[in-house]
Amino acid sequence: MQFRRVAAPEPGWWKAPGLSNTENAGLPSGGVRLAGNSSSLRKTSWVVWGGIAASLGLVALAAGMFLSMWTAGQGRGAADLDIAAIWATLWFTLFQAGASTLLSVALGLTAAWSISHLRFPGRHQLIALLSISMVLPTLVVVLGLITVLGRQGWLNQLFGAAGSAGIGVAIYGLGGILTAHVFMNAPFAARLLLQRLDGVPVEKLKLGRSLGLSPWQRFRFIEWPALASSLPGLCSTIFLLCFTSFAVVLTLGGSPRFNTLEVAIYEAIKLEFDIQHAVAISLVQLAVCGFFVVSASMFRSQDRSLAIRAERFSWPEPAILRRLQSAFIFIFALAYLAPLLAVVVDGLAADLAGLLAQRVFVRALITSFMLATLASIVTLAIALLISRARQRLTSPLHTRQTRWVSILSSMMTVSGTIYLAIPSLVMALGFFLIARRLASDVYVFAPLALLLANVLMALPFALAILYPAVQKAGLKHDRLASSLGLSGFARWRLVDFPAIRAEVGFVSALSFCFSFGDLGVISVFGNRDFSTLPWVLYQKMGSYRTTDAAGIALILLVTTFLVFTLVPWCYREKRDA
Amino acid sequence: MLEVIELRYRHKGAVTLEYQYDLEVAAGEIACLTGKSGSGKSTCLDLIAGFLEPHSGRVRVDGKDILALAPESRPLTILFQKDNLFEHLSAAQNVALGMNTSLKLTEAEGREVQKVLDGVGLLPLAGQRAGLLSGGEQQRVALARCLVRKRPVLLLDEPFGALDADTRADMITLVREIVSRQSLIALMVTHDFDECEQTADRHYELGNGRVERLK
Repeated sequence: MQFRRVAAPEPGWWKAPGLSNTENAGLPSGGVRLAGNSSSLRKTSWVVWGGIAASLGLVALAAGMFLSMWTAGQGRGAADLDIAAIWATLWFTLFQAGASTLLSVALGLTAAWSISHLRFPGRHQLIALLSISMVLPTLVVVLGLITVLGRQGWLNQLFGAAGSAGIGVAIYGLGGILTAHVFMNAPFAARLLLQRLDGVPVEKLKLGRSLGLSPWQRFRFIEWPALASSLPGLCSTIFLLCFTSFAVVLTLGGSPRFNTLEVAIYEAIKLEFDIQHAVAISLVQLAVCGFFVVSASMFRSQDRSLAIRAERFSWPEPAILRRLQSAFIFIFALAYLAPLLAVVVDGLAADLAGLLAQRVFVRALITSFMLATLASIVTLAIALLISRARQRLTSPLHTRQTRWVSILSSMMTVSGTIYLAIPSLVMALGFFLIARRLASDVYVFAPLALLLANVLMALPFALAILYPAVQKAGLKHDRLASSLGLSGFARWRLVDFPAIRAEVGFVSALSFCFSFGDLGVISVFGNRDFSTLPWVLYQKMGSYRTTDAAGIALILLVTTFLVFTLVPWCYREKRDA
Repeated sequence: MLEVIELRYRHKGAVTLEYQYDLEVAAGEIACLTGKSGSGKSTCLDLIAGFLEPHSGRVRVDGKDILALAPESRPLTILFQKDNLFEHLSAAQNVALGMNTSLKLTEAEGREVQKVLDGVGLLPLAGQRAGLLSGGEQQRVALARCLVRKRPVLLLDEPFGALDADTRADMITLVREIVSRQSLIALMVTHDFDECEQTADRHYELGNGRVERLK
């Protein structure tokens, strides 16, 4: 591997004002670039080396987890495992994930189509709320759904008041799992597809209107092609999220019949203390997730422009269609907002002052805030390092494109996405096994394992958001920055950060929220001395301390909402100023 | 004859802008409306095409006011700078949309599509997906669709802006020939004076929200 660098000028040729001799050596010399200047390589490519080291570390950690599991699973032959039970769990996991994906995408698509066609008061607010669905803490959603759809829920009370039989306890079992998955994923699908529809060039709409296309023809010729390229990737992502869903199935499954692989791993570790069984299920889980991650990356849409159309274009439609769209939006918004409202109403009625007097709660609150803040900072740092290193590696301006460079660049891509294929419970098991090798008390490593797991779970999303922004900024500014001799922190402060600050803000908020609401790894490492808010909430729900649970759910919801809206807003505000 | 008479439009944005358009174009003529970026050239076409509603004024084609008509019923067709085609359909299907939006054509309509594509020199590429055609070929297909609609007025919204010099020259020749042969009324907006000189029989300039005839 050889990095292409600017040739050092003759000694004493010229010294840029305010730069040292070594910095001066980085200036372009009449457009000639030669390879192999080792001093300038060491001086300027620490980002690349740092990115390579971070990527290698990530790959090594994943390999370490896999090896620990493989070794731990060696002790027992296939004959000792209940293969039939694993198959049954696998089939149910696949079935519920498939059904959840179909329902989520169908409802999300209809919602996106309706919202894109109508202008109504509160439209912007509804769209902003749809974005939050992807970071809502799962247990908060579950609690909200139980309040609305449970035996004593709002809906049953409403039916009861009207003298009807109600819906019973449809919230548990397969119905509950599907409802919760659709609740979390249909708004996510709607938000993404709405961006696609808003990205349709206005000329296409003008053309369609000028040709007199009917609503069906408008969908067929203009809107469907805009949506179609996103659907395979979207379906794969939602399928993967539902396939690896843990908290929903744990709380709403209600019976071993409705266990998924994630819950089976949890039960094997925590209830049956059968690590080898957990390892066997984890390996199945890894194989299936790996297959779907590769499929999702193959289906990734080529068109990444998701710009919202600035120009509004009016295309009146038949009144009946407008009424149908309005009705659908109303029901969709009501179904989405009612459980969140239920969390707020119940939470406000809870004894929040009493909660603050509980030592367990206060410790969990502080731990959650500290872990989420740390996870957010570490995720951002690693994602920025890898993104910038990859951008420099793939840019002919900085690096001579050789086979080694290509391999390193691919390794960086893989190191980020590999953790999409490792669900939280599998990750927890991996850390558990590594910790068991290092110390007799695995819980000593609990804070570190939780921090690492939260970082690794957010990293694929952080890289997917940051890398395109870093690459775009590099393409735009590299030559100018080079010609001005801008490098190091000065370049970051003046050129790179202003160009990607919106993405930095979004990634910070996203990784904080992911970490703040996660129940995966803590379910394995959580104990009396070490817990987080979601873990305390789960324990309160399990012991039927519903008032305390409602208070904690409100705190989780409000914090997530504030962080997810305010942090990106702060970053955007400064850029616009 | 296309007559745009005291057509007024108020654009409400960060700053409210007011435009008034007055112009005429005879059959077999190409009129160009030039002006700086953001001066309101494309707004004029959007008002004539029915995509925007004017504050007041009249638009007449052969003496008949067309402002009350829906965009699809107006006696006109429009060619944009880009995004004129549905990339997933073939060139022939894109042209056929101009005749029948359900794409169920009679035999005679099918022959008409072939004929028009032949007229713009693209018959060999009739079955090719529009997204795979070059920029110049895409504009020819879009022009062919304008022709099969058989509307007297052809609106051209910077139609050659995305083309290289040679392709642009070919397209200008083709448009001039078609407008003259079929006695179309063509109104083109562009910011390029040279392009206007090569194309236009009449030249209008838009400045400070008002139209002035230069040629």
